[in-house]
Amino acid sequence: MIPVFSRNKQLRQRAEILRGVYEDNLRIIGRRRTKLANRKTRILKKVSLITFIAVFSVLMHGNYLHPPFFEERQVTAGLISQRPFSSPAAPDKKMVEKDLADYRAFVTNGGPPIKRTFGLGIKTIMIDPGHGGADVGTTGKLGTREKDIALDIAKRLKSRLEKYGRFNVLMTRNEDITVPLNQRVQLALSKKADLFISVHLNYLPAKPINIIETYYFGPSSDSKVLSLAEQENAGSNYGMSDFKEIIEKIGNTMKLQESRRLASSIQKDLFQNFKKDAGNAYDFGVKRAPFVVLLGVDIPAVLAEVSCLSNREEEMKLNTAGHREHIANYLEKGILDYLHKGEETYEADRRAEKL
Amino acid sequence: MRQTDAQKNSDILFVGIDLGTSRSSVSSSNGVRQWTESFVGWPKDFIAQQVIGKPVLFGSEALENRLSLDLCRPLEHGIIKEGIDRNEDAVKEIIRHLIGLANPGPGQKIHAVVGVPSDSLKVNKLAIRKAVSEFVHSLMVVTEPFAVAYGMNVLNNALVIDIGAGTTDFCIMHGTIPAEEDQKTILSAGDYIDEQLFSYLSEKYANSKFNRNMVRLFKEKYSFVRDIPDEIHVEIPVDGKPVMHDIKNEIKRACESILPALTETTTEMIARFDPEFQIKIKNNIILAGGGSLIRGIREYLQDALKEYGPCRVSSVEDPLFAGSDGALRLAQDMPEKYWEQL
Repeated sequence: MIPVFSRNKQLRQRAEILRGVYEDNLRIIGRRRTKLANRKTRILKKVSLITFIAVFSVLMHGNYLHPPFFEERQVTAGLISQRPFSSPAAPDKKMVEKDLADYRAFVTNGGPPIKRTFGLGIKTIMIDPGHGGADVGTTGKLGTREKDIALDIAKRLKSRLEKYGRFNVLMTRNEDITVPLNQRVQLALSKKADLFISVHLNYLPAKPINIIETYYFGPSSDSKVLSLAEQENAGSNYGMSDFKEIIEKIGNTMKLQESRRLASSIQKDLFQNFKKDAGNAYDFGVKRAPFVVLLGVDIPAVLAEVSCLSNREEEMKLNTAGHREHIANYLEKGILDYLHKGEETYEADRRAEKL
Repeated sequence: MRQTDAQKNSDILFVGIDLGTSRSSVSSSNGVRQWTESFVGWPKDFIAQQVIGKPVLFGSEALENRLSLDLCRPLEHGIIKEGIDRNEDAVKEIIRHLIGLANPGPGQKIHAVVGVPSDSLKVNKLAIRKAVSEFVHSLMVVTEPFAVAYGMNVLNNALVIDIGAGTTDFCIMHGTIPAEEDQKTILSAGDYIDEQLFSYLSEKYANSKFNRNMVRLFKEKYSFVRDIPDEIHVEIPVDGKPVMHDIKNEIKRACESILPALTETTTEMIARFDPEFQIKIKNNIILAGGGSLIRGIREYLQDALKEYGPCRVSSVEDPLFAGSDGALRLAQDMPEKYWEQL
């Protein structure tokens, strides 16, 4: 009896495992177990919904024509209409303070982007996939190279932005070639780019975490940031003769403000979406760093470290086209949020999308 | 498992494929068992194509002609790099090649189960399906260690350790299809040994000319841990002249470099389970993959784990075909109604 019992148990176990393999593979292709089960579920759902509506109608009978929230809304409207008007005449001191506040908001971070204030159009966007050719950038433990991932994400971002039909989207490199940093800057200048987005990947040897951070040009006292800048600036091909021009450009405060806004917008979209999708990302925020490639251009320019190759799980995901497409999507959202900040229709659409 | 009539029908060829990092094998219901090294090479240019005379080369043939080819080892690190390399194309070519080796009859339907490294299944599920589905009528993808366990009928209270080239995959079997938490992958595997051996030999014999492929062949021929009585001497050219080199110590050091991670992960995997089951699992540890052929590794692991109580470690008889045989058994056992849905 025991061998028969044991054999039956093994057969059941085997059947269970085979069903598991089958269901696992159905999940891969995004299908459910059987069509019959789907139909049954749909019918059950419909029956439950109809029953719920019927029970609810019976319970609410005699009351649903005058639900209390109608009255509340009318009361609220009444209160608003009865609010006294503020006095039109304000003291001079207050006006001065307001002017100062407006000015501060304009030159700092609060107001709309300069492009909207001055009616400037964003026509050309230059995407800069970091590294390339002999310069591989960082390499993950599975052999994934920064230059390949950065190029792929940049290409995906380009095609996403081109779909809007109103941007001329260019890239500093379209293939795996070495492009010195000064040539990248020259390209952006000669093509009269209006925005400059440099795509890179991070590597933290000491910590196996995935961090997201976005940089704009500026001085930094953080030794880690300076070390990163040293790495990214290697092979810039700038000489000491360019020093005067570099110093002059440091004083371009308007560009810095816009770059900071663009960086904030990209960082926000990158991090929030990463967190939502995978939950494995750390927000290292918007930072200033003396990256030569950001300094050279006279337009809003940021360098986004969109992912982290030292994190093994993240490296594995970066090897899937789907994940790279997601990152391109987050960058696209960040750019569009920056361009349309304060536009009511756009922001309403974005809120609706989030809901 | 009882087969349905349809499954017994000779119109269907059942195929089990082990898509490995270093070697891939195929076992099919018509009795074919074949393997190839997981290398694919495309001629670099028109001249190379004229010289080689083929649009694509596989395995050892690709390795022999590597100077004229764009050589690709698609699962080098246990995963496929989608769209950023030629990895997807290479996987497709290997599958096409393996299915061809299985020798299906004209118009015969192919139902295939493909075993892949654990990380690859986790990451590249769709990419693998896309690469394979072109050549088969119905397809299922599973992890390599699971296919090995199924083929050996080790379905409950067992730990399969598949020491491959790119990764070492651990998989605990407990009567159901293993979940993600029942599996773990580490990078201490064959390629890691190659890297270590290359660096030790470069250090010891700075003037000798050898490459990574030679080092891999040395490892495959002589690998061992602990001690062996025989000497290991290999011929390596120095200034063009063949010279015998003693590489025993370097082989030992390189092979033993994976042992700490192997032991640590094994104990960690066992410790995840209820103590009552831990004893059962410890007595049912199976080594698979090319790494299981390292002389002394089974004994080493068994002794290392004895510290935690009695245990028994065994090795699969035929590491090259254990995965594809298991995948074939899965394919043949799978009820026809499941194949129809896929």
